[in-house]
Amino acid sequence: MENIIEVSGLAKLFANQSALKDVSFQVKKGETFGFLGPSGSGKTTTIKILTAQLAQTDGTALVFGVPASKLKEAGYRKKIGVLTDNSGLYARLTVHDNLKLYCDLYDVPHTRIDEVLDMVNLKDAKKKAISKLSKGMLQRITLARAFLHKPELLFLDEPTSALDPVNSKHIYKGLESLKEQGTTIFLTTHDMNEAEILCDRVAFLNDGVIQLLDTPKALRQKFADHTLTVELADGSKEIIDRGPEGAEAMYNYMKESKVVSIYSNEPTLGDIFVEVTGRKLS
Amino acid sequence: MTFSIKRSIAILQKDYKDVSKNLFVGSSIFMPLVLAALYGRLGVESINEFYMIFNMTFCLVAAYVQCSLIAEEKEKNTLRGLMLSPASTVEILAGKSLLSFIATVLVIAFAAFLIEYKPENILVISIALILSTVFYIGLGTVLGLVTKSVMEASVVILPFMAIFSFGSFLTVFAEKYPILKVAEYMPNSQLIILASEVQIGASLADIWFNLLVILAWVAVIYILVVIVYRKRMMD
Repeated sequence: MENIIEVSGLAKLFANQSALKDVSFQVKKGETFGFLGPSGSGKTTTIKILTAQLAQTDGTALVFGVPASKLKEAGYRKKIGVLTDNSGLYARLTVHDNLKLYCDLYDVPHTRIDEVLDMVNLKDAKKKAISKLSKGMLQRITLARAFLHKPELLFLDEPTSALDPVNSKHIYKGLESLKEQGTTIFLTTHDMNEAEILCDRVAFLNDGVIQLLDTPKALRQKFADHTLTVELADGSKEIIDRGPEGAEAMYNYMKESKVVSIYSNEPTLGDIFVEVTGRKLS
Repeated sequence: MTFSIKRSIAILQKDYKDVSKNLFVGSSIFMPLVLAALYGRLGVESINEFYMIFNMTFCLVAAYVQCSLIAEEKEKNTLRGLMLSPASTVEILAGKSLLSFIATVLVIAFAAFLIEYKPENILVISIALILSTVFYIGLGTVLGLVTKSVMEASVVILPFMAIFSFGSFLTVFAEKYPILKVAEYMPNSQLIILASEVQIGASLADIWFNLLVILAWVAVIYILVVIVYRKRMMD
């Protein structure tokens, strides 16, 4: 499959502070790629380099096969959508006027405004001034603006950081629909549940270095302790091995009709991150 | 690289709607008109008095409105959205300058009507006024780029307002303090000299040097715009 993003040996120094050190990864076409890490780990710096807002100190960053710095050209700008960590909306204007400006800048028909507002469940807020919206609504409008022009590649920097679970679900639904349409999504988050739900592959970034990169499923299996927890009728829980010894114990429990539930003890992405980096995500 | 008028017009339309809801910036557009109405009633007749109003319009409308529009885009982090869109730097700056330009031209025209200013050669005066408008918009752009908020912009612009509105009066003391002769080469002073010459019958061929000086100011300020934009707008 074609690579939309190819990053090799990427490094960024701010004064003498190293924000990124030798970062390499590829993002395939149509993939949702999660860039996970705590605040200050280098996630936003990476997005800024990949969207030509920042120049790298070293290494290469190719997007659509060209150096990221070329993305300043209008032709490439139309292919990407960016949701930044700040809303960047005009407070005195209405939701409609804000989106209309971007329709005109991207050469998109104004009928698209209703479509994207529907996707973020904010059709009723169309005539409201941005200054009257809640933080969560602002985040959803910013997201709507990011995919207004149906970009081939969408950069999302903490897309649900200000949202409650209900609104987050709306966003997930919208992103899944974009993915079905073939949009490649590069997502940064410190929300591991979000990464599990949305991402095909994830990279763990810590102190400017990628420490792990794989599919969430492969990572969970890699870090699993290969045991099962069996909940018994008396309320107790037994942890048994998945091998032949465990099978015998399981057979006995089942024969005596003691088993209430069985589940595997796979770690969450959050558990894996803590194990690998020794840091909590926040 | 192609220039998209559509994108610049979209930014102009957005700015028009935004400024019409912004009492602070919007009201400064009408200040020169209030002064012009007052002067009109008093019956001013000298070029210096006419051009004090025009130079004030350049400072308050062309420079200050432009400065505030850009400073607010930076303050509210909306400029980044524009920069990440297909709009090029030239399209963004042109779009952002159009509102200040149109407002300045309209205010100058209406103020001229209120104070009953009738230039002897309207073509030459129009060229000089348009060149001056372009210069002051450039000045507003530079100041908007170096400031971080509308409030800061309102303070930073004050000395420039004093110099470019009233600086031409310094030339009165030039005989006593020769250093003040420099003030003659400021765009506002050149505009007054040019208008005075035109009023006594000078043609385009007679005032080309004054136009050239104003044009030089335009060139310098736009070189500064490019330098400051490149320095300030990258993270």
